[in-house]
Amino acid sequence: MLNLASKSAFATLRSASSGKGVVAAQRVGMAVATVMVRRGRAAALADTVRTQFGIELPTGPHWTAANGTMFLGVGPGKWLVINDAQNSAFVQELEDKLQGLASVVEQSGGLGILRLTGPALHETLEKGVQIDLAPAAFPPGSVAVTSIAHVGATLWKLDDAPIFEIAVARSLSTSFFHWLDASASARGLSTDDRPD
Amino acid sequence: MRIPCPFCGPRDAAEFSYLGDASVRRPDSSVPGDGLDAAMQVYVYIRDNPAGPLKEYWYHGAGCHSWLVVDRDTRTHEITGAAEAHSGAVS
Amino acid sequence: MTQAQRLAAGGLVDRSTPVSFSFDGKPFTGFAGDTLASALLANGVRLVGRSFKYHRPRGIFSAGPEEPNALVELRAGARREPNTKATCVELYDGLSAESQNRWPSLAFDLHAVNQFASPLLVAGFYYKTFMWPSAFWERLYEPAIRRAAGLGRLSGESDPDSYEKATAFCDLLVIGAGPAGLAAALVAGRAGVRVILAESDFVLGGRLNCETHEIDGAPGSAWARQAEDELATLPNVRIMRRTSVFGVYDGECGAIERVADHMPAPPEHAPRQRLWKIVARQTILATGAVERSIVFGGNDRPGVMLGSAMRTYVNRFAAAPGRRIAVFTTGDDGWRTARDLRTAGLSVECVVDTRHTIAPDVLSLTGDTAVYLGSHVVDAFGGHGLRSIDIRDAGGIRKRVAVDALAVSGGWNPDVALATHLGASPTWSDAKAAFLATEPPRSMALAGAAAGHWTLAEALHDGGTLGMDAATRYGHPQLAQPRFRTSDEATEVQACWHVGGARSKAFVDLQNDVTDRDIALAAREGFRSVEHLKRYTTLGMATDQGRTSNVGGLAIMAELTGRTIAETGTTRARPPHIPVAIGAFAGLHRDTHFKPTRLTSGHQWATGQGATFVDAGQWLRAQWFARPGETDWLQSVTREVRTVRSAVGVCDVSTLGKIALTGPDVGTFLDRIYINTFSTLDVGKVRYGVMLREDGFVMDDGTTARLAPDHWMMSTTTANAAKVMQHLEFCHQVLWPELDVQMVSVTEQWAQYAVAGPRSRALLQQLLGTVADLSNEAFPYLACREFRCGSLPVRLYRISFSGELAYEIAVPANYGDALAQALIDAGRDLGVAPYGTEALSVMRIEKGHVAGNEINGQTIASDLGLGRMMSTRKDYVGRVMAARPALVDSKRPSLVGLKPVDPAARLRAGAHFVARGVPASPETDDGYMTSTAFSPTLGHWIGLGLLADGPRRTGERLRAYDPVRAGDVDVEVVPPVFVDPKGERLRA
Repeated sequence: MLNLASKSAFATLRSASSGKGVVAAQRVGMAVATVMVRRGRAAALADTVRTQFGIELPTGPHWTAANGTMFLGVGPGKWLVINDAQNSAFVQELEDKLQGLASVVEQSGGLGILRLTGPALHETLEKGVQIDLAPAAFPPGSVAVTSIAHVGATLWKLDDAPIFEIAVARSLSTSFFHWLDASASARGLSTDDRPD
Repeated sequence: MRIPCPFCGPRDAAEFSYLGDASVRRPDSSVPGDGLDAAMQVYVYIRDNPAGPLKEYWYHGAGCHSWLVVDRDTRTHEITGAAEAHSGAVS
Repeated sequence: MTQAQRLAAGGLVDRSTPVSFSFDGKPFTGFAGDTLASALLANGVRLVGRSFKYHRPRGIFSAGPEEPNALVELRAGARREPNTKATCVELYDGLSAESQNRWPSLAFDLHAVNQFASPLLVAGFYYKTFMWPSAFWERLYEPAIRRAAGLGRLSGESDPDSYEKATAFCDLLVIGAGPAGLAAALVAGRAGVRVILAESDFVLGGRLNCETHEIDGAPGSAWARQAEDELATLPNVRIMRRTSVFGVYDGECGAIERVADHMPAPPEHAPRQRLWKIVARQTILATGAVERSIVFGGNDRPGVMLGSAMRTYVNRFAAAPGRRIAVFTTGDDGWRTARDLRTAGLSVECVVDTRHTIAPDVLSLTGDTAVYLGSHVVDAFGGHGLRSIDIRDAGGIRKRVAVDALAVSGGWNPDVALATHLGASPTWSDAKAAFLATEPPRSMALAGAAAGHWTLAEALHDGGTLGMDAATRYGHPQLAQPRFRTSDEATEVQACWHVGGARSKAFVDLQNDVTDRDIALAAREGFRSVEHLKRYTTLGMATDQGRTSNVGGLAIMAELTGRTIAETGTTRARPPHIPVAIGAFAGLHRDTHFKPTRLTSGHQWATGQGATFVDAGQWLRAQWFARPGETDWLQSVTREVRTVRSAVGVCDVSTLGKIALTGPDVGTFLDRIYINTFSTLDVGKVRYGVMLREDGFVMDDGTTARLAPDHWMMSTTTANAAKVMQHLEFCHQVLWPELDVQMVSVTEQWAQYAVAGPRSRALLQQLLGTVADLSNEAFPYLACREFRCGSLPVRLYRISFSGELAYEIAVPANYGDALAQALIDAGRDLGVAPYGTEALSVMRIEKGHVAGNEINGQTIASDLGLGRMMSTRKDYVGRVMAARPALVDSKRPSLVGLKPVDPAARLRAGAHFVARGVPASPETDDGYMTSTAFSPTLGHWIGLGLLADGPRRTGERLRAYDPVRAGDVDVEVVPPVFVDPKGERLRA
C-alpha cells in the first residue's frame, strides 16, 4: 500500500534575521478547496451554506467563518474554503453538501499558508502589498487576492492586532519567503514552527 | 495607474492584462454566411484608435480573474469606471 | 583643520558635534547639520570641480538639487557614487568625497586647454566634428571624448547595498515641508486627514531655515520645529524626511527615500534607499522656487553664487561664502541677501541692481552699502576663485571692484516640474516673470512659491487654505483655519537675462557648459524651437535638469528670434525630477531573485538525485541527472533515453498547466475551444487537443481528461499555462457567459510524474499493488482514473510523450516529494532512472511530437501535421481565420523529419533549407530546422523542420544552411516520426 509522507510548503524555510518584528507561523493540515457557484444557483448556494455551515456567504472580498470553516470571497461567485479541523475528508463532504449548487475543487496541497503577526507587520507588508491595509480601508474580515513582489497571494485580515494570513502557491513559497524575510529583516522575522 | 476592479477594489495596473477595444463584438462564427470571413477579419484585426474616452478590456489575472470593461480616456489615462465584462457570467 | 569660514555664531548646525570628512584625500571637520557643500565652504574650499566640456574651475553655485557645478564622487570602492551634488549630501562622520572630471588634479587640470579650443566645442559639435572617417569614431573619437568630457566614474563593481520598494496610501500628499507644506499638513492633519508630508531635506522647514523671517513672533526655523513636533504627535500624519518625490504618474507618485545615504554604509538589514509608490487622493505641490542666474562674462567663476544660496549658507549653516561680497540682482530679493550678509558680519562691497528705481523700504535694507542702480555686472575675473568684477553703471562706465564672492539674483522659477509630468506645459506669466503651472493634474494643487506666490504670508495662507480644502473634502470635522502672523516682503523683480558686452565666456548652463554664443549659434542654424535648442546645445540636460538655466536660455532665444517668452514656450519636464539609482527600481529583484522562481514539490528530491536544472519560464526543471563518470550532458541524456526506451524512467511533469473545468456545459465549451471534438469523450478517457488563437494560428496543445461527467482536467504546456487560462476565461466570461462552466487552476495542487518505458506498468503495479488494475484491458492507452490509496487521492493517466508504454501519476503536491522517491524505490529492480527535460525532448523529437519550437505563433494546425484534427462538424475559435487562402496554401512550410545524409553529421536547429546546388538567399529559402537531437535509438542526429510543401518532399535531399555555426549539412527529408511509427509500443 502506497504510504507517503506529507511535506508542507514552508517546511524547509528558515529566517536569516533575528528578532520578532514579524512572527510567521505556518498553518498545516488545513483542508482547502475552491468553490465556484453553478450558473443561476447563487441564492440556493447561499441558503445551503447558511444552513450547513452557519455561514453567511460573502459576496465581496470578505471572509466569514464558523466552527473552523472559513469562506473567503476571491472572485465573483468564487470562494476559497479553508477548514482547520484536520479532516482529510472535508473537501469530499463539502462537495457532497454543495452538489449541483457549486463546483468544489481540491486545493489542500497547492498552497502554503502563513499566519503573520508582530509589531513590524504593517511596515513589512507595505513593502510588497500594493493595497491600502490601514484599519479603516482593510478592516478585519477583508480579503485580497493580489500580487506581492510578483508572487500571487491571497491575504486576509483576522484582527486589527494585526493578524493576517497569507496563502501563496506552493511552488512560489521559496520566492515569497525570500521577500518576507528580506522585508522584515530590519526588525527581524521569527518563524514559529508550532503548527497553529 | 490604479484600476478600480468592481470586485477587488482599486488595484495597481500591473495586476491586469490589457486586451484593447471592448466595443468590438465577435461575429457568431457558428452561422455560416457570406459576410462571415469579412466580419471575422474586422473582429480580429480592425481597431479604431480614438483620442478620448474608450471602453477597453482588462483582465484581472493577478486578482479575481475577472474580465473587465474599463472606461479610460486615452489622452489623459483617466479611468472613470470599470464593470465586469459580462455581469451575466455569474448570477 | 579649523573651519576658517565658519561664522562665530548663528546657524542651525550643531557645534557640539564635530564631524570629520575628507575631500580629495584632505581631512576636514564640519558640524552635524552641515551638507558637504556647507562644510566645504566653512573650511574655505571654493574650488570643487571642473566643468563638463571646458574643464573650467567651478565652485559651489547653489544650496540644493539645482546645483550644476559641485558634483563629486561620494564614497570609495564599490560604493562610489559619481555625480553626487555636494549641496544635497548630508555630512556624516567619515565621509569621503573626490572631485571629478579633472586630471591629474583639481587645481591643475590638463584638459582645461579645452576652453581655448572652444570654437571646436560649440553647440552641436558632436554632430559637426568627428564625422569622418566613421571607423575613427569608435576607436579614437569616442574614447577621447569620453575621457575628456564627462562627469564622474562608475565603480565598475556590483552594488553591495540593498534596495527596497514600498507603497503608501494617504488622502493628502504634501510635497515639500517649507512654510506652505507645513501649514497645509498642520491644518489637514489637525482635522484628522490622512497626510503624508514628503521632504527631500533632512530637516523640515525649507526656506524657513534659511531666512530670518518670523512666524507668530518666533524665528521661522523655530516655528518649523514646533510644527514638526506637533505633526509627529498626529497618528494620521506620516512625515517622510530625506524623501524626494521624483515623478507624478497616473494615480500615483514615485518617491525615493534615502534611508542610509547619510551614513558611511547602511546598517545591517537596512536598505540604502527605498523606492516609494505613493497613492494619494489629493496632492499639494509645495516645492517652492529655484532662483535664476544672470548671464554675464565669467559668471561661472568659483565664488559666484545664487543669492538665496548665500542666505542659506549664512543663516542655516553659519558658513561664509566669502568675506568681501557683491550682490547683483534684478529684483528686491537681492537686497535681502545683502542685508543678511551684513547682519552676519560680512562685508558687502556693493549692490548692483538692473533697475533704476527701487522702493525706499527695500533701499533701506542695506544701510550705507554702495549701490549701483540701472547697472550690470559685465564680467567676473579670477581663476580658482573670484577676485574682481566689472560693473557697467547706468552711464555705461565700467568700474572694477575687488570681491571674493558675488551673489546673483535673477528672479525665481517656481519648481513646477511635478505639476507637468502628466503632460501639461507651464505657461509664462509676465506679472510673475516666471513659468507657472496653470493646468496641474486634477488631483494636484500648488501652494506658495511653487504657485508663484513669493511671500511667506502667501505661502502660509495657501497651505492653510488647501489644508482646509482637504479637511472638508475628506469629511473631517471643520476647524477654524488658523492665521499665521508674519510680515509681507517686497518681491518686485524685473527680468534681465543676459548682460551684453562681456569680455569672457558667459554661461547660460553651467553644468553643460552652454554659453550665450551657443544659443546664438543654435538660433542662426535654425534650432529655434525650445526642444531643438535643448537637444542641439544640451541646455538643461543632465543631473540638474537646467533648474538654474532653462528659463534664461529660452529667454535669450526669444530675444534673438524676436518672440516673447510666452511664444517661445518651455520644454516639458518628464520624470524623474532628480536622478534615481537604477538599483532602487529593481529593489529586491536582482541576481537570482530577478524574478520569482517556481519549484516543483519534487525539487529537493531531484537535487538529491544530482539534477542539473534549467529555467522553464518561472519554473526550474530538472534538465538531466548526471551519474558519476559522466562528463558530458549528452552522455547523461543518452543514457536516460536508453533507460526509458529499454526499461523505465521517471520524469517530473508537474510544471505543465492544469486547469480544472467543471459544470454541465464543459463539453460544449471545449468543443468551441479545441479544433477537435471533446463533448463525446467518455468519463475515464483522455484526448489530445489543439487550440487556436482567434486569428487561426495554434495557441497551445495538450491532453484533457474527463474525470466525471461534469469534471474535466485540462493540461497545457508549461509556458502557456497562464495564457490559456486567460483565454478560457475570456471565452467564458465575454463570449459565452450563458454556458454553465467553472474553471480554476490546479497546477499547484497536483504533483505529477511521467512513468515511461516498457517496464512502467510493472513499476506502477509494484507501487500501487492491488488498488489499481493496470492491464491493457482494464486501463488501455488514453484511459484515466481517480482513486484513493488509503486516504491519499491518486490520479492516473495513460498518456505518453515519449512514445513508450507510459503513465502519468498525480498526487496532491504535499506528497510530491515522497512520491518521486517511492517511484524510484518501486522501480529499483526494474532498472529505473529519473530523466530530465532534455531526454524528454529527445524522445518527443524521435516521435515527431511538436512543442514550443514548432508551436511558435506562426504555425497553423495543418503546418504541424494536425490538419486532420480540425473538425468540420462544429465551430471553434480560430476556425474561420485558419481557412484564409494563404493559410491553406499547400506550399506553406510544414512539418517534416530530417536526417543527415552523412550519419556522423550533426544537425542544428535554426539552419535554413535550401535546394542543393542553389545559392542561399531569402528567395531560395525553403524553411528551417525547428528542433534537433542526437537520437540514441537511431544512433545519429535527427531533426524536425518546417519545409515548404514538406510532406510531399519525403526522400528529397536538401542543404541545411547554417553559415553562423555549422556551415552546410546535407539532409534527407523523412517522415517526422522516427521511432515506432505505428504506435505499437505505447499501446503495449
